[in-house]
Amino acid sequence: MLTRKLFHRFHDLPIRRKMILSFLAVISFGGIITLFIGMRIEHRTIFSLAQAKVRHDLASAWMVYNEKLISIRDIIHLSTAREFILDTLRTGNAADRAKKLEDIRREFDLDILTMTDVRGRVVLRARRPDVSGDDQSGDPLVRRALLKETAAATQIVSRAELLKEGPDLADRAYFTFIPTAMAAERSEDHEENGMMLKAASPVEDESGTLLGVLYGGVLFNRNYDLVDRVKDIVYKGEKYKDKDIGTATIFQSDLRISTNVLNDQGRRAVGTRVSREVNDAVLRNGRHWVDRAFVVNEWYITAYEPIKDIDGRIVGMLYVGMLEKPYVDLRNRVMGTFAVLAGLCTFFLLTLLAFIAANITRPLGVMVEATDKIAKGDLDHRVDIDRRDEIGQLAGSFNRMTEDLKRANEGLTQWGRVLEKRVEERARELQTMQAALIQSEKLASLGKMAAGVAHEINNPLTSILIQTHLLLETCEPGNPSLENLTLIADETSRCAEIVKGLLEFARMTPAQPTKADVNDIVERSIQLLEKQASVRNIKIVKALDLSLPSIDLDKNKMQQVFSNLIINACDAMAGGGTLTITSRLGPDRRQIEILFADTGMGIPEENIHKLFDPFFTTKSAGTGLGLAVSYGIIQQRGGKIGVRSEVGQGSVFIVILPLDQQSEETSQEEV
Amino acid sequence: MTNAAKSKILVVDDEITVCKSIRQALVCDAYDIDTALSGEEALKKEDEKKFDVIIADLMMPGLSGLDLLKSLKAKNSSAKVIMITGYPTMKTTVQSIQVGAFDYLPKPFLPSQLRSLVARALTHTD
Repeated sequence: MLTRKLFHRFHDLPIRRKMILSFLAVISFGGIITLFIGMRIEHRTIFSLAQAKVRHDLASAWMVYNEKLISIRDIIHLSTAREFILDTLRTGNAADRAKKLEDIRREFDLDILTMTDVRGRVVLRARRPDVSGDDQSGDPLVRRALLKETAAATQIVSRAELLKEGPDLADRAYFTFIPTAMAAERSEDHEENGMMLKAASPVEDESGTLLGVLYGGVLFNRNYDLVDRVKDIVYKGEKYKDKDIGTATIFQSDLRISTNVLNDQGRRAVGTRVSREVNDAVLRNGRHWVDRAFVVNEWYITAYEPIKDIDGRIVGMLYVGMLEKPYVDLRNRVMGTFAVLAGLCTFFLLTLLAFIAANITRPLGVMVEATDKIAKGDLDHRVDIDRRDEIGQLAGSFNRMTEDLKRANEGLTQWGRVLEKRVEERARELQTMQAALIQSEKLASLGKMAAGVAHEINNPLTSILIQTHLLLETCEPGNPSLENLTLIADETSRCAEIVKGLLEFARMTPAQPTKADVNDIVERSIQLLEKQASVRNIKIVKALDLSLPSIDLDKNKMQQVFSNLIINACDAMAGGGTLTITSRLGPDRRQIEILFADTGMGIPEENIHKLFDPFFTTKSAGTGLGLAVSYGIIQQRGGKIGVRSEVGQGSVFIVILPLDQQSEETSQEEV
Repeated sequence: MTNAAKSKILVVDDEITVCKSIRQALVCDAYDIDTALSGEEALKKEDEKKFDVIIADLMMPGLSGLDLLKSLKAKNSSAKVIMITGYPTMKTTVQSIQVGAFDYLPKPFLPSQLRSLVARALTHTD
């Protein structure tokens, strides 16, 4: 779960950091492994070297040991040739010979020196001339000497024997065990016997007759000559931080009886015992022991070997040890150097890596920035990476893609604009068409109705009109009814006019087109109305394009339209004004436009779309059919009629007639 | 003025008020005016006495004014026929003239218009 989380978090890191972390992991792993292996090899090398050395040192110690043994043997052996010894044993008279024997003992630094007779009974003890007569033939060395053989060996000497040689020796040998943490259990709590290097040699006269035995030895207990010699010879007294590098010890069984290993108080650590482990290996199983061991208070690289007596029994151990600390320190120094070197290497690699990672990922950053910009709509942005690697290729592709995108986008925008325009155009067309459709629909249904209504109304109108006129004819002048009757007659006539207009509008007789010049029709319409206009102070201005082509149209109907428009214009300019009539070719040269522009009151916005509706009028006496009829006529011709107006400025009516007639032939002849 | 000297006029219209009004507009010593409310009736009356002028509505139920005109022409009637109509169109006008109507008068009209037309018809000789 946690691993997964960490993995996810790792995933979210920037690439650069990811690379650095990955490399760091690899480098650290490699470093640690190398360090570990290095340490192991180092350790093994250093310690196997140390062990080899300590083994060698032990051999040297044995040499010292054996030299000592041999020297004792030689001393004993050579001493047998002394006259006074021969004489003493020959005569059996030991008186005042003790002094001489004691001199020899002192001269050769022996702890004991004793003569026995041929049966092994003690004749003279150098240290204790007063104690004699005891039987030493049970001693294996003496026994051999009695058999005319010089023998030397390590030997355990009992306290009783030591007491015979002197209580001081027994005291030297006596040890109360100092409790030692790792030592093996022992039932005793002290050691009273001693351990000696001892030699015995037969004393013979000139003829080779055995006269007795001379034996002597050196007690190891609390005698430090040998161990210190070992230290001096093997380790040359070298010290490390005020401690002897080399130490040597002689064990009696597992007890340190002679040593130069110091305890915490700086005294020789005699009386302590060896660890159970060593005890088992060396004393019990007679093996060599070479390993590091915690000796008293320090770690040593140690070697132990059993010391055997003349019968091959293991009686003690010889030990040499080298202080481990110098090696450990050396190893630590080496490891430290190694670690520092590794650290420096890692640091260097990481710096290099950070640089490389930055170099690799920088273009990615540029890319990311670029994508971001493009996503925000800046399609002109380009990635500026000049490389030939994958990122360079990517940048190239990216730029091309952006270019394409931009083009596509522009295309789309343009296309969108075109579409928009087309939709607008289409909507406008539809609107116009719909308006036209509504208009013609309106007109058509109205036409049908008008036809029926007109027919029905005309009959009663006929009666009313005739009757009214008949009444008028019979009326005397001055008759008060005369005026009313005239009113009825006039209004009836007006009704008749409306119905006539309605019929005109409804009838839509089929056009009878002939080739005609639009300008001619305009001129004719003006001619008819000119007088009326000038009376009303209206000036008619003509701006006619006389080069217009003749087109097919129904002259009468067209004249009706034009007249209608002129009348309307005049009506719009109550206080006088100018009517400008323009004829011209349309912008695409496929239609003729005739414009009637007045300077009248204009048409309010809300009335514009009602203008062409039948019966819509703003004039008090209008039928409201003029423009509706005009609309119908122009539509029949396939043209258009429209208006632009501004209140207070005037209005412009435009009639547009296509050059080639494409009338829908709305032949609404007879309805 | 004797009855025989009087011009005989027949007014044909499916609306009686129209017939009456026309009759009133024309009534005078010189005219002998009769009315008929349908084309069939008009033909019947024409059979009884020959009319000089027949004023007929164009659109009537049953025998229309145009059918009446055609029947009269078929019988070689010498009566001058003036067509009146509440729904004058170019087509009917032309048709009437082609079949042999004397003239064509759209409704409504003034008594004076009618009188002058009738007078014209009476003085007209083929």
